[in-house]
Formats: sequence, C-alpha cells, structure tokens
Amino acid sequence: MSYADRRSRLLQLAAGAAFLALAVVLVLIVVSSSNSGDGGDTKLEGGAAVRKLVEGIPQHGMLLGDPKAPVALIEFGDLQCPVCAAYSEEILPEIMETRVREGEVKIDFRNFTIIGEESVTAGAAALAAGAQGRGWSFVELFYRNQGGENSGYAGDDAFLEAVARGAGVKDLAEWNTDREEMIPAVEESSQEAQRLGFDGTPTFAVRGRETNGIELLGTPDSTGDLEAAIDEAS
Amino acid sequence: MSYPSEGNLQRAIAFLAALGIGVAAYIAIAEAGGGSPVCLAGSSGCETVAKSSWSHLAGVNIAVFGIAGYALLLATAFLANDLARFGGFLLALGGFGYSVFLTYVEIFKIEAICQWCLASAVLMTILFLLCATRLIAYAGTGEAVPERA
Repeated sequence: MSYADRRSRLLQLAAGAAFLALAVVLVLIVVSSSNSGDGGDTKLEGGAAVRKLVEGIPQHGMLLGDPKAPVALIEFGDLQCPVCAAYSEEILPEIMETRVREGEVKIDFRNFTIIGEESVTAGAAALAAGAQGRGWSFVELFYRNQGGENSGYAGDDAFLEAVARGAGVKDLAEWNTDREEMIPAVEESSQEAQRLGFDGTPTFAVRGRETNGIELLGTPDSTGDLEAAIDEAS
Repeated sequence: MSYPSEGNLQRAIAFLAALGIGVAAYIAIAEAGGGSPVCLAGSSGCETVAKSSWSHLAGVNIAVFGIAGYALLLATAFLANDLARFGGFLLALGGFGYSVFLTYVEIFKIEAICQWCLASAVLMTILFLLCATRLIAYAGTGEAVPERA
C-alpha cells in the first residue's frame, strides 16, 4: 500500500471513529437526560437537598455521625410512614446540621415495619445501602419520594434501585444481592422495637453518658424536645 | 499548512498524559482511602461528585479507567508509527467523548462540579487535539518525521 493510500485509509478510519464517538456521546446524553435526577428510569425529588443535608457527615451502616459521638439518638422508623417523612424533613435536619455535624450526636436508623410487607422490602434495601455507607442518604431520599402506603411503590425494584442510585450506592449489583440477605435484620429490629414497647413510628430512644442504657423518648413533638432529651443524656 | 514537528507533539502528549495520570491517581487514591478528592476554595463539589453513583462503573472508580487511559496515551507518545498515532487518536477520542459526557452529568445530573474531574476533562480535550493533529499531519509516515531545521 502506498504512502498516500495508507494515509487516506487511516484518516477515513479516524473520521469514522470520530462520528461514531459523537453519536455515542449524544445517545448517552439523550438517554441519561430522559431519566430524571440520579434515579434511572424513576423520577426522584429532593436529590440535591439530601446530598446537601448529609454532605460531610460520616455514614457507617445505618449510623449517621461520628461513631464516637457521646450521645446516640435511635430512630425506629418505617420507610412508608408519612409522619416519619415529615419528621425527617421538619424536625431532624436542625439536629443533623448542628449536633450531628459537630460530632456530639449520632443517629441510628432502625426499621420498625408496621405498615406492611413492602416496608420490609424497602427497609432491607436501606440496610443494603448502609452496607455501602449510603444508608442515611437512602432513607432521606426514600422519604422525599414516598408514595401511598402499600401502593406497590415501596417494594418496586425499579423504584428502590432508583433511590439507591440517587443515594450514591456505588455497587448496585452488590446492593441488589445484599438486600435479599438483610430481611432478617429488618425483622429483628422490628421485634426489638416491640420489645421496647413501641407501637408507632417514628419513635425515638436516646443513649448517652447520663442515661441508664437506652432511654425511651417516644415521638417528641418538636426539635426543641429532641434537643432537650439530647442535653439530658449528654 | 504547517504543523508542529512530530517530536514536539509527542513530548506535549507525554507531558499532558503524565499530568493526567497524576490527576486520575489523586482522585482514585483519595477515594480508596475512604475520603474524597479535596476541591480548592472550600468547594464541596468534589465530595458530591465522588459520592455519586456516577463515579463508579461496574463498581470500579472511573478514575482507575482514567489512569489506564492516560498510561496508554503516554505509551503512544514514545512510539512514532501509525499504530501509535492511530491508537493515540482513538484513546484520546474515547477519553474526550467520555469527559464531555461526564461534564454534562456533573452539571445537569449531579448539579456539582469536581475541579479535579474538570481538570482531567481539559487535559483530555487538549490531548485529543494534539493526537488528532499528530494523526492528520503524520499518518502514513512509517517513522518519525525529522524536525525541520
């Protein structure tokens, strides 16, 4: 092959590759823009707000905050519970922004599935996200995209995967495997809540230097009430 | 049209690919250590992007793919034949295309900008232009074209 032929052939191949690359990038952008937020095929709300809320706060399992924080606030919640969602948006953020961010308090989310079987599926998905350090992000994002109780969304694989993706779960294949294995842990924490005498969600307990083991708080009415309980425990 | 000598293009490609390895390695090491790359001026964009699901492909940090891509580009800079010219062009084209997509994702999906990712995208853009220039100017020449006096 002559110099001119070889050069012409290479440049033709390069031009073809460039057009192909342009097409692939355009397809990727169109496909991803037709999906909303970070959630794959499911439209999710509040992704940016959740990222801002938990950004910079350590997450280990379902624990939000410094694991060495002297006060542990334990929330027993049901992901389908609208009161839990309202609590998550209205009562807890101030505590997360101050006490948790400053390392004074850690919040431990535990599933207390009182609404239905879908809560168990969703709770297990949250624990699997927790295994990758995105448990609280999952819970917060789930609450912001809550649907009707037992309407099917909470056990829907596509919805749960969208929440996991939006929460920043990095290995979705591992998450998918883990969530099946987390169901006994969800049932266990629900039984723990019942043993403690809780009968609704969200319910809280606190443990600190000044408490004798776990002190039950029930459902404090306001951020101020929760802060007072934290102060007493610390 | 006059082009830079192939030697100069190779040196520029080698330099930028080495810089790219440094940037991608920093992102990968910061993430492997359980943290996130640190943005300048206190911006939290790097952490937001690093913790998003877009930062990984099949469970592997995309910075690792970046290191591999830059390393291969660096290798092409040391050879002066059509395989290196065309291979370098394809690598830089792929890297540039993916950088465009990731920058789109940062702006419109994650709504945060990671300065290190942006630096890598700029490097990849320049590398693409250099590799394209190298291919257009010197494709078909079996060996390096001597620099003009």
